Amino acid sequence: MGTIRIENHEIPFREGDNILKTALAAGMEIPYFCYHTALGSLGACRLCAVEITPKDPGKAPQVVMACLEPARGGIEVSISSAAAQQVRQKVIEFLMTNHPHDCPVCDEGGECHLQEMTVACGPPYRRYRGRKRTFTNQYLGPLVHHEMNRCITCYRCTRFYQDYALGDDLGAMRLRNEVYFGRFQDGPLASPFAGNLVEICPTGVFTDAVFRQHFARVWDLKTAPSICPHCSIGCNTLPGARDGMLRRVRNRFHPDLNRWFICDRGRYGHQYSEHPARPLTSRVDGAKVSYRQALAAAAEQIKAVGDKTGGLGSVREDLEGNTLLRALLNGFNGIFTAFSDPRLEAATITAVTALQNTTGAPSLAEMEQADAALIVGDLTAHAPMIDLALRQAYRSGARLAVLHSGPTPLARFAATALAIPPHEMSVCLSHLSERAAAPSAANSNQKEMLANIVVSLTASHRPLLIGVTETLSASQIAVLAQLAAALGPGARLAYALPGANAYGAALLSQTGRATAMLEAIETGHIQNLIVAGNDPLGDTRLGARWRAARQRLDSLIVLDCVATATAEAADILIPVAAWAERSGTFVNYEGRAQGFTHTFRRPEFLPSTAEVIADLARHLELVLPDIAAALGDTFPGYQAPVPGAPGSPLPAPAIPMHIDTTIHQGCESHPGRWQAALSTWYGDDPLASFAPALTELVPAVAALISPAAALNEGIKAGERVRLQGPAGTVVLPVQPDNDVAAGTIALTRAVLAQLGAGHGDPLELEKVS
Amino acid sequence: MEAVLTHHLDINAPLNLQAYRAAGGYRSLNAAFDRKPEEIIETVEAANLRGRGGAGFSCGLKWRLRGADAPRPRYLICNIDESEPGTFKDRHLLYGGPHQIIEAVIVSAYALQAEQAVIFVRGEYAKGGNGLRRALEEAEIAGLVGTNIGGNGFDLQIEVHVSGGRYICGEETAMLNAIEGRRPNPRPKIPRPSVKGLWGYPTTTNNVETLVNVPHILLNGAAWFHDLGVNGGCGTKLFCVSGMVQHPGLFELPCGTSARELIFEHAGGLAEGRTLLGFLPGGASTAFLLPEHLDVPMDFDPVAKAGSRLGTGSIIVLDDTTCPVQVTLNLMRFFARESCGFCTPCRDGLPYLAQILTAIAAGEGQAEDLALLEELSDIIGPQSFCAFAPGAVTPLISSLQGFRKHYESHIATGRCPFDAADRNGA
Ligand SMILES: Cc1cc2nc3c(=O)[nH]c(=O)nc-3n(C[C@H](O)[C@H](O)[C@H](O)COP(=O)(O)O)c2cc1C
Ligand code: SF4
Ligand code: SF4
Ligand code: SF4
Ligand code: FES
Repeated sequence: MGTIRIENHEIPFREGDNILKTALAAGMEIPYFCYHTALGSLGACRLCAVEITPKDPGKAPQVVMACLEPARGGIEVSISSAAAQQVRQKVIEFLMTNHPHDCPVCDEGGECHLQEMTVACGPPYRRYRGRKRTFTNQYLGPLVHHEMNRCITCYRCTRFYQDYALGDDLGAMRLRNEVYFGRFQDGPLASPFAGNLVEICPTGVFTDAVFRQHFARVWDLKTAPSICPHCSIGCNTLPGARDGMLRRVRNRFHPDLNRWFICDRGRYGHQYSEHPARPLTSRVDGAKVSYRQALAAAAEQIKAVGDKTGGLGSVREDLEGNTLLRALLNGFNGIFTAFSDPRLEAATITAVTALQNTTGAPSLAEMEQADAALIVGDLTAHAPMIDLALRQAYRSGARLAVLHSGPTPLARFAATALAIPPHEMSVCLSHLSERAAAPSAANSNQKEMLANIVVSLTASHRPLLIGVTETLSASQIAVLAQLAAALGPGARLAYALPGANAYGAALLSQTGRATAMLEAIETGHIQNLIVAGNDPLGDTRLGARWRAARQRLDSLIVLDCVATATAEAADILIPVAAWAERSGTFVNYEGRAQGFTHTFRRPEFLPSTAEVIADLARHLELVLPDIAAALGDTFPGYQAPVPGAPGSPLPAPAIPMHIDTTIHQGCESHPGRWQAALSTWYGDDPLASFAPALTELVPAVAALISPAAALNEGIKAGERVRLQGPAGTVVLPVQPDNDVAAGTIALTRAVLAQLGAGHGDPLELEKVS
Repeated sequence: MEAVLTHHLDINAPLNLQAYRAAGGYRSLNAAFDRKPEEIIETVEAANLRGRGGAGFSCGLKWRLRGADAPRPRYLICNIDESEPGTFKDRHLLYGGPHQIIEAVIVSAYALQAEQAVIFVRGEYAKGGNGLRRALEEAEIAGLVGTNIGGNGFDLQIEVHVSGGRYICGEETAMLNAIEGRRPNPRPKIPRPSVKGLWGYPTTTNNVETLVNVPHILLNGAAWFHDLGVNGGCGTKLFCVSGMVQHPGLFELPCGTSARELIFEHAGGLAEGRTLLGFLPGGASTAFLLPEHLDVPMDFDPVAKAGSRLGTGSIIVLDDTTCPVQVTLNLMRFFARESCGFCTPCRDGLPYLAQILTAIAAGEGQAEDLALLEELSDIIGPQSFCAFAPGAVTPLISSLQGFRKHYESHIATGRCPFDAADRNGA
């Protein structure tokens, strides 16, 4: 660490940093285009010219590129020198020879880096008299709009898309002043992170195609710090709204989590809150009523059945809503849980418990530093930004091992990728854990590969283990934690949890409550169910059972902002504010509580879930603590996290670790010839599935089986099979896929829901002739 | 003077292995294997063999600076990308005698203790590349290339890579990217290829003409090489002469031969009644020289002293019927077209220059255009990412100085004076 003089200020620098990075870190502006903190220096745009005066008085001052020149003690840097300004002005003048000057109709206007630099550097006039180069634009799918004439050839897009996010369907083509950034052919961008092009491009080449449909100038947008509601990572976002309508979502920098990027689910999933079918008016028995009337009806129902009321919160409901619902239920000794599926309940609670008994899950920034990682499940679909973090670890040389039952994009970058049928996952994980504790000889090919995984994890300095909660059982989650413990204190453990507030919801729930609730409904002990942000009737595995149970209820009261199967079936439906329309708290996969604040209000009256429950309590003449007190009671010492701040760990009393890691017979024994595996994609979560632009990209529905299995069964690609599950039959074309484990049929959530089968459940398969 | 490099060349029937050996080929292998690699490098350095690819850097020094303890694997690249307008010497070497190239690569790789060599051939020279591949196969079968060459424990694989076909691919670091299958954009100057080159390993790149000198130096010694040159030059040089001369062609002559001798004796001089307007001494990316420079020895330092570069030693001659504005425009169009598109000044600046020149050449220039050309060139050259752009603006800047009145008359009269001359002549 030394100091360098920039514009006559002594600026400290880190050894190895360049002048541009040093200056920007100190809050000094040096104009630039191609440099990006995440992508580093390139030296292509030549805008960051500065003049340096060497220590040696015999040497003349020299114009250099600040992004390429290492910061060194003793040199003087001038940003404002005439020579440096000359270079910058010429760079702008050169770029403008081909720029269409279409700012008035450009979506980037108002937040265009090119516009800002052009105004800042000059010159204000154009001398070029020749023709401008023109390009043909491409159709890049529903998310990103393409307008190539505005390109300034800074290569940021390809450096992000190819080098950083490891995508391969967008690149730089041709040469001279005709370099073209696009796809080989028109077609939707395949990367789950494609939407970041919108922000990484310093001009209006790549713009938000969804925002374009209801465009507003950036200065007309209302924004407020928010948290992504679409998965457990808790990426920080900045929604923008105008005229009572949510228009777009952008990344908001969080130093440990998402930093510069978010995934496409987080950027485009917000369309759910503008979905035409979104419930906006309260309904009682199908009739539109006022909010007051709905509340009164709900209160009446609850009073009528007394304590026979259950409360089902949700992993996507904020901490406030879940906590108050639980407090309400406590008021009349009712059952509360946030999970409609006991398996997921047990798995999530086990994961959170395991994390509380370790140093806690690493941040995304820490994950990038891992030098070996074991991934169990498909992170791309369940925690997209962990996938991106691991791509960075991979780029720095980390050895990735992936155990998966169905396709997973990370397998491509794995040193070892093993397709394991769900029912063998336990044995496999136990084997890893035992080996880590006491190495022994491998006696099969697969065991040898597992042995190699253990060797690479043991040999690494910063090993990382990550499991996908939704496709693991509680005992598998516990075994993964054991493996982490066996690897020593340096090993880090994380789980992709099943919702934006799954961590918080798990702390409010208790293993066994979901089963108890279902049985209580089935036996008539619960006659009245309040559901907040959950969809038990649409549950993948137990939807049919819930639908049958629903028949026994006197009344189903639903609070939600999307038209789920449960909301459709509600006796009393109270629409609530979507996340950008309310303030609240999500607890992410690390246990980090992050506050978000409402960006805007819709014209309709839409309270938050917590507000509805407080109002309901008043109607019931129940004394409920206010939300702050309720949170303080549940989480001693709780302080509401400030929206816009990096969040704070949720103070929670550690749950004693009493986890059964024995492999349960029944659900884990061999299920027969075929079993189901959940195979989903990055755009899939209960909210984003109401986002039209994302759903345009849903992969074609098929039964994915391994090519060997297809051969065995004599089924060719595209031929149809009839699948039979506990709840129904589905006929689907077969698609052989190398990433599917033996005896496994990888299916989407929607197909599994029709079959009534969960991940690992047995299925029948029959060729349709 | 007896031809050294072109002695056994025959572009119609290049010598096969047997014939080449009969003519004394591959003798330098034993001469090399008898010595320590360091000794060879010393000899090449003592011979003052300077790079024939354009920059004229000392070959021996380059090899020594790579370091004897550089990590392995080490790479040697033989550069036959030759795309410089007016330059056709490497083509002659390639089509006329592939075994001479292979021999040169083997002994050079031995000196560098490199286990892998790539011969990078210009895309348009694909047929030459095929001939080279056939020769390579012969050499491999004969045990001249491969493992334990000649029983001396030296291993060398040689690969022929035919370029996708762009001028920039000849630039040392762009070539590394091209071979690796990436876009042929030049790489940053640091780390140097000798430290982190092809696939991240130490890499030495030399022009093919540089390398084919090495076997001869090994066989005949440094002093012999010095004596080949005249006027202080060392070795022979393959000179290309083209443009407005009677007999354009390739001439192997002592390094240091004057431009006057090249143009007026070897290339047959100008057509009847013409006078010399000027000439490019070293290919398209060098500064124009004027008649007053005719006696400058065609060697690296003297040409540099005269304000230009020896470059590839390719002279392009302009006589008094050639419009220097048109010639310069032609060159700028070439460079604008060949810019790799990586950095702004070159990518967008060169087409800007070409546009202004187009206007001037068409008689649509404006009074301030000449100052504008200079103002833009002053930034484009020094502020670009690689050496391409400085080379590209060099002929323009010198043309604006040397042929100023031609530019002024285009602008003042609103037409090209040479058009009128042509019309009158026709
Ligand atoms: C734009 C550009 C194009 C070049 N093209 C060639 C080429 O075609 N052949 C070549 O030998 N060197 C070419 N060079 C020079 C090489 O970068 C490199 O300096 C040379 O091959 C080194 O060989 P030498 O030291 O033997 O001359 C080019 C350089 C630049 C900047
Ligand atoms: S498309 Fe945008 S990001 Fe890509 S090179 Fe052009 S200006 Fe840069
Ligand atoms: S990774 Fe999760 S939290 Fe982050 S943007 Fe994507 S969906 Fe949202
Ligand atoms: S100077 Fe030209 S050729 Fe060199 S990097 Fe820049 S654009 Fe490419
Ligand atoms: S930011 Fe330095 S050259 Fe682009």
